[in-house]
Amino acid sequence: MRKTPTWPRHAIMLVVCVLMLIPFYWVLKTSLTGENIYAYPPRIIPVDPHLFNYVDVWYMIPFPRYLLNSVIVTLMAVAGNLLFNTTAGYALTKNFPGRRWVVLLLLSCMLIPFQATIIPAYLITSWLGVLNTHLGMALPMLSTIICIFIFKASFEAVPRSLIDAARIDGLSEWRIVLRIMLPLSKPAVATNVILNAIWSWNAFMWPLITTRSAEMQTLPLGLARFLSVMENTTGALYAFVVLVLVPGLAIFLMAQKEFIRGLTAGATKG
Amino acid sequence: MSLSGSNGWLILRHRFVAVPLALAIVTGAWNAYVAINDGGIIAGTVQDPAGRPIAGADVLFFERSMLNYVEERRTRTDAAGAWRFDGMAVHVGQVEAIAPNGQKSERRQLRLWFKAQNTEVTPLIVREYR
Repeated sequence: MRKTPTWPRHAIMLVVCVLMLIPFYWVLKTSLTGENIYAYPPRIIPVDPHLFNYVDVWYMIPFPRYLLNSVIVTLMAVAGNLLFNTTAGYALTKNFPGRRWVVLLLLSCMLIPFQATIIPAYLITSWLGVLNTHLGMALPMLSTIICIFIFKASFEAVPRSLIDAARIDGLSEWRIVLRIMLPLSKPAVATNVILNAIWSWNAFMWPLITTRSAEMQTLPLGLARFLSVMENTTGALYAFVVLVLVPGLAIFLMAQKEFIRGLTAGATKG
Repeated sequence: MSLSGSNGWLILRHRFVAVPLALAIVTGAWNAYVAINDGGIIAGTVQDPAGRPIAGADVLFFERSMLNYVEERRTRTDAAGAWRFDGMAVHVGQVEAIAPNGQKSERRQLRLWFKAQNTEVTPLIVREYR
């Protein structure tokens, strides 16, 4: 039987890959040259590239402060997600009265857009007295339903006999989660970390609503502020965009193997 | 993986450790370099087209404002044509020399890697000076 050549498939994938990377390349190129993005004819190869636009960004706005705020909020969101999603995911692997309704409730909550819940979320945050704080910005992102189900799927893949053996050995439920479940669910943990890090890193709407002072703003808010205040900053603007994007890309590239494995874990379960 | 024992160093090869560690080392090295070189000294010389120093020339430093560059500092060259600004907490600006006969050099754009970087500017040439 004649084997189908693989090169057409690879060629198509290569073309699609290049098409998807062009915007990223253009942003990077503009950040290095300051060339107007509407310049015609467009230059594919950067002319006289330099890194001074990045220096400008660092000093034109309080970039370190925005970066620190983004890092703090992201760390809080990731830590909260690991704690709450793990415990919720583990609870959903148990049989208890109303479990089916809890799962249905969670699934139905996923259908409600965040914009629809902003007012109650704001009132709760205000009532807790954490408006304009890092905790307030991280609060709605401390648990995400999709990640609860990722943990649930991962925990259900752990053999029941292993948990029973641990219980017979005298391990408490907390220790079963910490010593048995989590070490066997590293892809789910990595997926949680990556997804929540990227979501909280890119969050715009909620931080915009909860922050009142400039020194509490995160990087996406800083980008909007940068756009509204500065003029003739094509290069610096795109340098800022690159600086906002790089941490998310770095986390994804570092953990893409676990990320893909975690997203597909449980996908083939019956 | 245990940190102790003969395989303890292997954890440093894990990308979740190696990448942040490498970033921390680069950041630390860069900050050390900045700390050593942030004296805020911008210096240079003023010369005529033949390369002879011009004494008594005014050297102007223009700092970038929101819209354009405005004169911020001014100094005068010594007998060797040398000039120097101290305490310059800037990372971008322009310098220009005005010879005693009123002729000007080109306005030189300065872009520094960090604020107050010690910088030696290549000679400012006053083309019309005799």
